[in-house]
Amino acid sequence: MAIDRFLRPKASSWMANDGENVDIAMSTRIRLARNLNDFQFPYAFSEDEALKVDKAISAVLLDKGRELDYNFTHIDIQETPTLEREVLVEKHLISPYLAKGQHSGSVLLSNNEELSIMVNEEDHLRIQSLQSGFHLQEAYQVAHQLDSLLEKHLSYAFHEKFGYLTSCPTNTGTGMRASVMLHLPALTMSHQINRIIPAISRLGMVVRGSYGEGSEALGNVYQISNQLTLGKSEYEILQDLQNMTEQIIQQERRAREAILNNSPVVLEDRIYRSLGTLTHSRLLTTEEAATCLSDVRLGIDLKMIKDMDMSILNELMIFMQPAFLQQYSNKPLQPKERDFARARLFRERLNRESLNDEGEDFV
Amino acid sequence: MICDQCGERPASVIVKQTQQGQLTERHLCHICAAGNQSINIAFEQDPMAIHQLLSNWFPAQQKTINPVRKEVAVCPTCGFTFTKFLELGKFGCASCYDTFEPHLVEIFKRLHNGNIEHNGKIPASYGNTLKIKKDIEELRKQMKTSVEGEDFEKAAKLRDEIRVLNTQLEGGVSNGD
Repeated sequence: MAIDRFLRPKASSWMANDGENVDIAMSTRIRLARNLNDFQFPYAFSEDEALKVDKAISAVLLDKGRELDYNFTHIDIQETPTLEREVLVEKHLISPYLAKGQHSGSVLLSNNEELSIMVNEEDHLRIQSLQSGFHLQEAYQVAHQLDSLLEKHLSYAFHEKFGYLTSCPTNTGTGMRASVMLHLPALTMSHQINRIIPAISRLGMVVRGSYGEGSEALGNVYQISNQLTLGKSEYEILQDLQNMTEQIIQQERRAREAILNNSPVVLEDRIYRSLGTLTHSRLLTTEEAATCLSDVRLGIDLKMIKDMDMSILNELMIFMQPAFLQQYSNKPLQPKERDFARARLFRERLNRESLNDEGEDFV
Repeated sequence: MICDQCGERPASVIVKQTQQGQLTERHLCHICAAGNQSINIAFEQDPMAIHQLLSNWFPAQQKTINPVRKEVAVCPTCGFTFTKFLELGKFGCASCYDTFEPHLVEIFKRLHNGNIEHNGKIPASYGNTLKIKKDIEELRKQMKTSVEGEDFEKAAKLRDEIRVLNTQLEGGVSNGD
């Protein structure tokens, strides 16, 4: 099946680890919401219309995508088994909303998994562009190019005053949501994050915990994104987010230094305990794994832990999730069994990989 | 019942919290409940539960208890009423924007920090003139930023781009630049 390649326990290239500030800014995502002019939006359309929208958009992408060198794989959501949909959600390739499969819809994925186009999510079209590290402009360019190509062949719902028309009034205008995933252990440990979050939201941006849906700042991973889509151009939105993210990165660096200076032994103890937990446990809950991964990640950044590849940690952040574990084990697992499988996965990956020191060629 | 937080272990504790006058109830397992004290409740939910915000802003529209009140606007294309839009927090189609336009300024102002007009990308197919005008506006802004950042080389490049666009506009006036 075409979908299989995307389900394998293999990291997408946007989970690799490259570029400046990648120790703190883990990945970048741009999402553009678009709708077609001649159809009702997904909250109102009929199943018949949903099917037509899906066919129209998929046909253009499968045919014209090649102009931009994309060979998209088309995955029909309703024909995809639930567990496989969940794996796509855990890999951030589709949204939980699309995974519900309320009406005909699909996702079109590029081979490197950096582009994911959802059809009939909350809007007819959701273009998602993912990049490893902190690359707002690059991620936007990819989405923008594809958007411009699609627009040549499809008539978008657009309004001179309101811009791109979307189902939700919070997306109207540019339809763009840009976000950066940040690992902020020192700001969290020092509770400074609680002062930073409200300040950011006053500037039209928002920070939230981000590690799968509905969970809090598990593993000290936060997502910062723009909240406004009207009034500012894409350029301005990206510029503001860029500046804000750079400031947060600086704050995190300062906090790390302060903790390292004030309580080096406590920090070192915590980091090595977490390393021990990840490499030797027999039962690992999601929360414990996330916390320990965060500590070990920090340990690598601070050069306390050497000979461990950060990209393996990125990979494990994705694969430790419930659907992936079940896919990996090839059977449904009860919660306790998942904790066991998770611990085994960590032992296998970390102990073997750190011995081999294979670098980043898992991508 | 499965734990609301980890979605894995069975829930054994009910945690009740009052936040901004709203009581929320969460079913947690013993492990998540124990770790819960340190969790920042600001992350509890999507801060933009849009339909809740809208309903709070337009309480009069929401009174379904009063059957006498007439629906103000019904979208001719999808049949959404303004009340339905508020309840869902979503539009049914592109025409909804025209139908509900009188109310939208108020809504967008609140959702987008006082902004009510699109200022970004325009589909190429959507009238070339408008696109050029907006492009010029955008380049001007970038030029201003470049000047402020004392990147005069880039500013000069942008200025030239603006000139080219201006000549493309029929009867192009350079608006005093």
